[in-house]
Amino acid sequence: MKNKIQHSSIVTRWFAGIISNKKALAGSCIILFFVFIAIIGPFLIQSPTDFLGTPLSPPSFKHLFGTNGQGQDVFSQTISGARQTLFVGFSAGILVVLIGALIGGIAGYYGGQTDDILSLIINIFLVMPGLPLMVILASWLPPGPGTLLGVLVLTGWAWNARVIRSQMMTFRNRDFVSAAIISGEKNIRIIVVEIMPRMLSLLASSFIGASIYAIGAQVGLEFLGLGDISTVTWGTNLYWASNDLALLTESWWTFVPTGLSIAIVSFALTLINFGIDEVTNPRLISERLWRNKVPRNMITNGITPVLKKHE
Amino acid sequence: MNKPLISVEKLSVNYITDTGSVKAVNNVSFEINSGEIFGLVGESGSGKSTVVQAMMRILPPPALISNGSVKINNRDILSVVDSEVLGFRWKEISIVMQSALNALNPVLSVREQICDVLKTHKGLLGTLAHNRAKELLSLVDIDRDRLNSYPHQLSGGMKQRIVIAIALAIMPPIIIMDEPTTALDVIVEREILAKIIELRKKLGFTILFITHDLNLLLDFADRLAIMKDGKILELDNVKNIQKGGRHPYTKKLIDSIPSASGARQKGLFSKPESLDFPDMPILEVQNLNKIFQSSELFKKDKLIAVNDVSFKVSQGEIVGLVGESGSGKSTIAKLVTRLIRPTSGTIYLNGENKKVSESRNVPLEYRKIVQMVFQDPFGSLNSIHTVYHHLARPLLRHRLKSENELFLYIVHLLETVGLSPGEKFAEKFPHEMSGGERQRVAIARALSLEPQIIVADEPTSMLDVSIRMDILEIFAKMRKENNLTVLFITHDLASARYLADRIIVLKDGSIIEEGASEDLIQSPIQKYTKQLVRAASPGWFHSLYKNSDNKESKNDR
Repeated sequence: MKNKIQHSSIVTRWFAGIISNKKALAGSCIILFFVFIAIIGPFLIQSPTDFLGTPLSPPSFKHLFGTNGQGQDVFSQTISGARQTLFVGFSAGILVVLIGALIGGIAGYYGGQTDDILSLIINIFLVMPGLPLMVILASWLPPGPGTLLGVLVLTGWAWNARVIRSQMMTFRNRDFVSAAIISGEKNIRIIVVEIMPRMLSLLASSFIGASIYAIGAQVGLEFLGLGDISTVTWGTNLYWASNDLALLTESWWTFVPTGLSIAIVSFALTLINFGIDEVTNPRLISERLWRNKVPRNMITNGITPVLKKHE
Repeated sequence: MNKPLISVEKLSVNYITDTGSVKAVNNVSFEINSGEIFGLVGESGSGKSTVVQAMMRILPPPALISNGSVKINNRDILSVVDSEVLGFRWKEISIVMQSALNALNPVLSVREQICDVLKTHKGLLGTLAHNRAKELLSLVDIDRDRLNSYPHQLSGGMKQRIVIAIALAIMPPIIIMDEPTTALDVIVEREILAKIIELRKKLGFTILFITHDLNLLLDFADRLAIMKDGKILELDNVKNIQKGGRHPYTKKLIDSIPSASGARQKGLFSKPESLDFPDMPILEVQNLNKIFQSSELFKKDKLIAVNDVSFKVSQGEIVGLVGESGSGKSTIAKLVTRLIRPTSGTIYLNGENKKVSESRNVPLEYRKIVQMVFQDPFGSLNSIHTVYHHLARPLLRHRLKSENELFLYIVHLLETVGLSPGEKFAEKFPHEMSGGERQRVAIARALSLEPQIIVADEPTSMLDVSIRMDILEIFAKMRKENNLTVLFITHDLASARYLADRIIVLKDGSIIEEGASEDLIQSPIQKYTKQLVRAASPGWFHSLYKNSDNKESKNDR
């Protein structure tokens, strides 16, 4: 019973923090909405790959977002594109953080030669030019979500590992870690139970940053035609829109819904990131809060505010 | 009687937080006369620094000055507009900040930092400013060549002198000193204070001195104000306060100052009747060396932290390791608890050398015998875990208690260290407790495995004065009841005198003197130990003062 109390505490504290923070709440709602659509949506709509109507017909009641150059329904395409894009994006985010935490965490905690070797590997990946490598790998490997995921993780993990390593190094020398060592605790337990929860905000914002990066890079690669163009994703939607000369034919409806979805998802993720910042670092909100509670006309301005005297 | 130089009237400061507003300073009034040394004493959270920052108008939001006035030469600094505040700062009143290490800008040379003040407030440029900067340095006894040094090239004491020089730059009539010596070693601290007094005598400025250390002020302040929870409890001249004051809190503060000289005060810490310990030492350290090497690509730096240290500790003995910062005392703590490996040397435990030096993995049984209490109770507890977790983990790891008896044992443990009711404290998180309570939890954690040796690394230096003695009392009690052996590491000779049976004095990584506590305090042999003893005794100031008087008269001739 005791264990339960402690275990839930940090999770509930976080949850309460996210709920009470408007930015984080708004961001979470948007993301949940898109995830819901990605999971449920494809079962409720017409097939996105079927030829349904006149190509490039503008939005109407029959086709809410119009049709594209192949006469496919853009609304269905936008919805079913969410599934693979978000799946690959968030999986890449999770993998990047896991690998970063594993390699960076071990390098930072153990230090010495272990750190030398792991840092060398991290540094090699850091100096490799990510974008060209990504393009080359994606075009060389068989196209598909697996390839995309692999390429994104391979080019994205090193930076996170570096950041987590530095954070781990500062925690490594804190007294509470020394105290755990002296009480006989095993290293792996110290890392997982004592230190990692302290890094929760870093891990969470790393995950969000990596997800934004993964979604953007993935869409970019697919736009260049380096994905599997037979699948329906947000990236291939844009690829086909461009191939069908959407800009020349002024058929804006073929790319705006997808583009907007990508933008809104990134925006929502950024909102969550801001929210996490504010929840874990209350100093960020205290000044704004202060301004709300103490009206400007009641104080004399300055570095030190002084309440005006009521005489 | 002439008018007071500063009068603070009914000053109130609120901190606006999300849970409402907290009154940090509550209706504080005092006056400081010209030429006086006025002391403001309070523990952490008493609002003393907030008062000072409000007086300089350097208090940022979420603070809000809600009432009161601060009149300097009859002009209220709180009612003027921002642009006029500059006219007060440094011309009328300057401040020496708490930690010189942070008050100086690390990327600017000493010259630039002094000249900056001269330029802003007096418009002095070029050679004029340069010459003035030189004068200021010689005023605080720093070599003029140091003008081009950067802060990291200076010692802590020198940095503090430079901050004082900057505060003196254009000779304001009032200088506020906010804990100017807290981060410094005792001997350096005394030197700086002597310098301040000497300068005051020469230049005649008024001092408002803020500190948590009442002992410091008793020797040289004229009047004192004791603050607690944002209020001034007592304001009187030093003589009356020294006698014990009127307020019970003042009396408590006065009583909690141990002294390193004179006869031993009675009633503090119970010592066992006889101080004969078994011949076989429980812990023996032989020729211990620790060299820290930082190797970068083309240069190698060597720092000898511990240099050929040997000592023995018997079961049930409390040994004080006394030294200033950089003396290697904390490194010895880490070596003995085997957080780091020695460069060479051996540690014997119960007469056995458990291959301490060679192996990287420390056997679990060693962990059970030797435990440690850290200096900073804020850092040594993990903020995301409850007290229960902190105490339960070692027991579960060593399989000493089953899940069923665990809770009762922990409650018992918490009550042993004075946290009752234990059930309630077990569920608390570190941030829900005060510093003293946290340190008690840290001690309970160290005690939970029923170890034979506890290494206590400055267990009270981060705590408020009034609770230090209570914390040390726990160690004395545990020794008496459980025959616990304690290696008590401290910079404070006076508290070592009271707690420890034997004192080992460290300097620059080596042992320079060793002896039974009373013998060492009463008749120190080494010069350094003598200095330490003198700095920790009341009346230290008068001896220094006499010295500086002599010097001056010599110079006059």
